[in-house]
Amino acid sequence: MSKIEKALGKAREEHGNLPALVSVPGTVMVRERTGHPETISRMAMSESRLLSAADLSWRGIIHPGRAEDPVVQVFRELRTKISVQCQERNSVILVTGLKKGSGGSFVARNLAAAFAFDMGRTALLIDCDLKNPSVHQLIDNASGPGLTDFLDDPNIDIGAIIQPVGIARYRAIAAGGLREIPGEYFNSQNMRRLLDSIRQRYMERFIILDGPPMQDIADIQVLSGLSDFVIVVARYGRATNAQIESCLNVINPGKLLGVVFNDEPRIPGFG
Amino acid sequence: MQLHPEQVVRTLLNESFHSRRMVVAMFVVVNAGMLAAGLLWPKGYSASTTIFIDEKNIIQPLMQGAAVTTEVTDRGRNAREVILGRKIMDRILEHGGWLKVSLTAEEQERLIEQIKKRTTVTLLGKSIIRIEYRDDDPERVYRTTQKFADLFIQESIAAKAEESSAAFEFIGKQTDVYQDRLNRTEEELKNLRSSNLEARVGSDAEVNTRLNELQSRIERTNQELREAEIKGLALDRQVSGEAEVTSVVSREGQFRTRIGELQSRLDTLRLAYHDTHPDVVQIKQHIQDLTEELNTQRERRVQAKAEGRRPGPDEFAMNNPIYQQLRREQSQNQIVIESLKARIAEAQRQLNEEISRGKRVHSGDARLAELTRDYQVDREIYQDLLRRRERARVSMNLDSDRQGLSFKIQEPAVLPVNPTGLQFSHFMAGGLLFGILIPLAILFARLHVDPRIRVGNAISTALKVPVAAVIPHFWTLRELKSLRAEQFLLVLVVAATIAASATLALLRVLKVL
Repeated sequence: MSKIEKALGKAREEHGNLPALVSVPGTVMVRERTGHPETISRMAMSESRLLSAADLSWRGIIHPGRAEDPVVQVFRELRTKISVQCQERNSVILVTGLKKGSGGSFVARNLAAAFAFDMGRTALLIDCDLKNPSVHQLIDNASGPGLTDFLDDPNIDIGAIIQPVGIARYRAIAAGGLREIPGEYFNSQNMRRLLDSIRQRYMERFIILDGPPMQDIADIQVLSGLSDFVIVVARYGRATNAQIESCLNVINPGKLLGVVFNDEPRIPGFG
Repeated sequence: MQLHPEQVVRTLLNESFHSRRMVVAMFVVVNAGMLAAGLLWPKGYSASTTIFIDEKNIIQPLMQGAAVTTEVTDRGRNAREVILGRKIMDRILEHGGWLKVSLTAEEQERLIEQIKKRTTVTLLGKSIIRIEYRDDDPERVYRTTQKFADLFIQESIAAKAEESSAAFEFIGKQTDVYQDRLNRTEEELKNLRSSNLEARVGSDAEVNTRLNELQSRIERTNQELREAEIKGLALDRQVSGEAEVTSVVSREGQFRTRIGELQSRLDTLRLAYHDTHPDVVQIKQHIQDLTEELNTQRERRVQAKAEGRRPGPDEFAMNNPIYQQLRREQSQNQIVIESLKARIAEAQRQLNEEISRGKRVHSGDARLAELTRDYQVDREIYQDLLRRRERARVSMNLDSDRQGLSFKIQEPAVLPVNPTGLQFSHFMAGGLLFGILIPLAILFARLHVDPRIRVGNAISTALKVPVAAVIPHFWTLRELKSLRAEQFLLVLVVAATIAASATLALLRVLKVL
């Protein structure tokens, strides 16, 4: 029995039902190609410290413990929907707000958290909103290298830019140093390679791209070309049907998972 | 965007929570406004009185046809105009004490308008008039309402009496006019009749008959005249053909006749007797004597003729008898002709007279017919007017005795104790109600007018794009903390508002304010 299998067994004992790794299609292939795929058990070992529910709330992230919270329920449902659409494969999902302030980053962050709730999955949040980055707020080592640094210098180890967030099975890549024209970076081979290598490195991982608002049509076009699915976030009382319609024209309808209607007012403790 | 009621309610609830500060602010503003309005709103008192118009008076059926009572419903319908008319209004002003201070005409006009606005006149059913008056002084309200009713009744009765007496006067005047005309026509008729005796009914026919008769008489007489003239001509002709003296009868003739007779007697005697018979001798003797006498006479006649003397009567020849007769007839005929001519002339005169009389009769007839017609028409109208005048007199007496149409104050005005109309409590309740309803209405309107999406389903129905999720607001602990403080503050504000209005209401009840 290899070390991995031992770890898996241990994890099963600790957390109960974990889906068998072998059941994930393509896993074996990935392992063969990369040689050292990062697994849940290995990730578990590298979790430095996990954030409490209060810490998460301060950061605007849902917590699985508050299952009665409708926001938690909605994100879980959304995750399930996406899983069905992805046919259980790890996919790249671009989350983009209709405009600035639509809550695209909030949805991306929490969608990743929802995936991370699932013990059989891991989530990686990549901050692609280079003008208004937000992921670095989640990371302890905010001054560390980020996405743009990696794109600038491919020699940087991928592992160096992937940072833990304080949530089990949840990793994030910050935007890094600010760049003026982000389109060029996303278009580069490096971006594609990054996504490919991440996909190969983490088998059961869902990669969530926290994209810029849809007003940056160029970025959106590039990023949606790189991702498997796109989610558009429209905020309550901000967007009109006409705005949504014109923005959706940019996206390939086959990739569009749907519109997420964000921030519907709710009286706390009132359902 | 079509929303289900349930969705609307939920969205409104969410929205009002979302815009809670605006909602509370509006609540406070509306309440403050309403309370202010409630404090400034004048206290109103109102009093009302109802007047019953007695329509089915006992007099009416009794006097059916003899008198006419004024229509009650008309009175009722006109009540508003009468009550709010200038006449009553002036007296109300005076009575209500408004004229204690001197007012300009314009101010007075404005005051009247105000009073009019505060007065309501309603016709309940057909015969009940309700007068209601509102004002801020209960005493004045009572007095004014009472006065309105009194003045209305007075005015109505006076108007009625005036109406009926005016009608009586008018009819009386008309009657006099017709009486005059009738008298005049009668007089004229009398004059016409006395001046023109022929002017009577049937004169015309009589004149015609007489004319015909005269004409036929003239014709007949003319005929006779012509006959007589023809006869005269015939007689003339005959007279000229006859000799005046036809034969001369003389003594000689007598002698000869005697001789002839004696001779025939002698002849007869000779047949039987001889010449010597005495009778024959006697006769012979006689004949001889007569012959001698005859000769003597002949000689005398010749002698007289020679001497140129007119022979003696027995010696002249006899007149012709036919001639005599003709002459007699001629003269008789002449007399007849003369008399016929006289008759014709007389008939002609009579005819002329009759014609002129006919003319007179004709002109008189036309005038007579005209006068008679006038007389008849006038008489009919006059008689009708006389009847009407009597009815009008009874009507007038009815009104002057206050019979017929009568007014009763069904429900007298009472001194109002409690103010009516909008009270402070209404304003208070209104403030609470509208304080909630107005913000809700604004939010509701915004929900429908604002194109920005507030219901997730609207995206999928409008754009046919799936809505992957509708994420409620995520309350972070920090937000929850500040929300609690905010909620506490807002509740405090609302409570303070309600407490303020309740306090004001209490003060109002205690009549402090």
